[in-house]
Amino acid sequence: MTSSRPTNETLATTKKPSDSVDFTPARRRWGAMDLSLIAVFAALMAASIAVPGINVGVLGVPITLQTLVVALCGLVLGFGRGTAAVSLYILLGLIGLPIFSGFRAGPAVLASPSAGYIVGFIFGAAVIGLLARFALRSRWRAGALFGAAMVGTIVVHSFGIVGFLIKGMALPAAIAADVIYLPGDVIKNVLAVVIALSLHRAFPDLLVRRRK
Amino acid sequence: MRNAGNNCIVLDRAAVTVEAADPRSQETKTILAPVSLTLTEQRIAIIGANGSGKSTLLRLLNGLVLPSSGTVQVNGNSTQRDVSAVRRSVGFVFTDPLSQLVMPTPQEDIELSLRRQKLSKAERRHKATAILADYGLAHLAESSIYELSGGERQLTALATVLAVAPDILVLDEPSTLLDLRNTRLLMERLDALPQQIIMSTHNLDLAARFDRILVIDCGQLVFDGEPDRGIARYRELAG
Amino acid sequence: MVAGYVPGESIVHRTRLGLKALLLLLVAVLCLASPALSPEFSVGITTATLILVVIGHVVAGLGWQRLWRAVRLMLIFLILIAAYQWWQFGPLIAWQVIAAIVATVLASNVLTSTTPVDTLLDGLAALVRPLRRFGADPERFSLTVALMLRSIPYVIGAFADVRDAARARGLERNLVARSLPVVISTVAYARATGDALAARGLGDPEPPEAR
Repeated sequence: MTSSRPTNETLATTKKPSDSVDFTPARRRWGAMDLSLIAVFAALMAASIAVPGINVGVLGVPITLQTLVVALCGLVLGFGRGTAAVSLYILLGLIGLPIFSGFRAGPAVLASPSAGYIVGFIFGAAVIGLLARFALRSRWRAGALFGAAMVGTIVVHSFGIVGFLIKGMALPAAIAADVIYLPGDVIKNVLAVVIALSLHRAFPDLLVRRRK
Repeated sequence: MRNAGNNCIVLDRAAVTVEAADPRSQETKTILAPVSLTLTEQRIAIIGANGSGKSTLLRLLNGLVLPSSGTVQVNGNSTQRDVSAVRRSVGFVFTDPLSQLVMPTPQEDIELSLRRQKLSKAERRHKATAILADYGLAHLAESSIYELSGGERQLTALATVLAVAPDILVLDEPSTLLDLRNTRLLMERLDALPQQIIMSTHNLDLAARFDRILVIDCGQLVFDGEPDRGIARYRELAG
Repeated sequence: MVAGYVPGESIVHRTRLGLKALLLLLVAVLCLASPALSPEFSVGITTATLILVVIGHVVAGLGWQRLWRAVRLMLIFLILIAAYQWWQFGPLIAWQVIAAIVATVLASNVLTSTTPVDTLLDGLAALVRPLRRFGADPERFSLTVALMLRSIPYVIGAFADVRDAARARGLERNLVARSLPVVISTVAYARATGDALAARGLGDPEPPEAR
């Protein structure tokens, strides 16, 4: 984090050294701003399970914000930092912080039937972050970002179903147990896109520039 | 303290612009018009309205913001080329100490500051305890930063910055969140410091005691000189 | 944040973290790998492991209520799994699968309930340290962990503030009004923290020659 000149890339990619325009996570080392964004988004993941869900009425069940934050990690932080934020959250949950849904904690979660979702969060955020790069350059930005988020949702749900199967559940039961979360996740993806686009306006210097 | 009294900050036509909020436009917005300054005085105040560009000017001084054009040099180091050397010599105190204090307790936060010096964990702990004692904060060492009063927080933030012995101290409205008594306490601490101090403030009584005043208005440096005349100019601008 | 740690003086509490982690690994291996040998053998091993884990739970003074709470959270899934396994492979295998899940979940609950968070974090840092030679940076990693822990209360506070504000404006059921301000203030907070770290010369990667 040494420059305040906004460069392109994902929404919150800001203040990066001007000599590294290409965002290649393995090569470019993260600066203080990157670490801070990763840490705070991981905290957002953790906090989202500690706050009561929002009762919107249409679904009959309160909406929890966890999968919304997974989508935001990808859309706002991009591939490398978004994946890192979700991974950091999961790592700290695994070593024993009660930050998984239902205040669960520890490696127990990996043995539980819903383990697939936890692992899926990492890959979901990664896929969304990867696709967001392209979506942001598209002419239909909102639609493309929503598409990216939906692909991520499919990845998370696939992992969830595989997790059920590994634990010995039948495929129809696994799918049935999974799809009840799908409508909520679609709504949350719309919300994630609205939030991502609003962040542009709230932080003009985080702005995305079109490639020349 | 490496070279008290011999600091020299040079801004050469340094300007800051940002790209417009609409990604489709190619326009840029000027935050700070080109400014050339040589800052050598021990106590320099920057005054101006909210959003006038004071913070941006201060952030140029330690490389938190890089000039879009022109250069900023601190004791010969360019903020663009050698930002870590610049940050070693320039300590920065923010308006809100809570954004500055990272660890849960003052003790741990000072240990964090000391990480830049290659010390062992035990040495860091020992040194942090000594620093807190120096600044009269020993009794708060293990308190949560959320339990401290605003004044205690700002003094802690100051101590974490001074822990690494910078040559220059830059403060961005450090007294804005403080009451009168704590403002006075903070200023007493600052007065006693050997470092060069560059501080922005809305408190004109404080500014009046400085050696030199810069008045910023709408991203332009509109006055540079003696405190009395600078304050008069600022009052004029405020209408 | 709900603390997972239950203070106590039991022998489980006093056991070193490394040993507890090793035992946990052993439980997982016994329960999940034993079916590869023979079904009858694995049923016996898994049942014995489960009994030992429950004894450990009781010895640690964690109480039956805590045990039940851990099981209750996954009860629906356990029933679905048990039904399918019973139908496919019979009651013995169904029992083995369920007992394996419950044993590993309980064992890791025992570990996290009897170890303070500080110790867990130190353990994590110790795990990362050997990775230094592969380019990992333990200092920056622990800084990020510390930043995350410090930010959780802030973000929870932001959720509460925003909920109150939305309620005051009659927007309690409006998803955007409930979530957007939280994310905006969270990003603002992250940026202020990032600036403060950079200003203190922390968190930025050090140039190789400085090492």
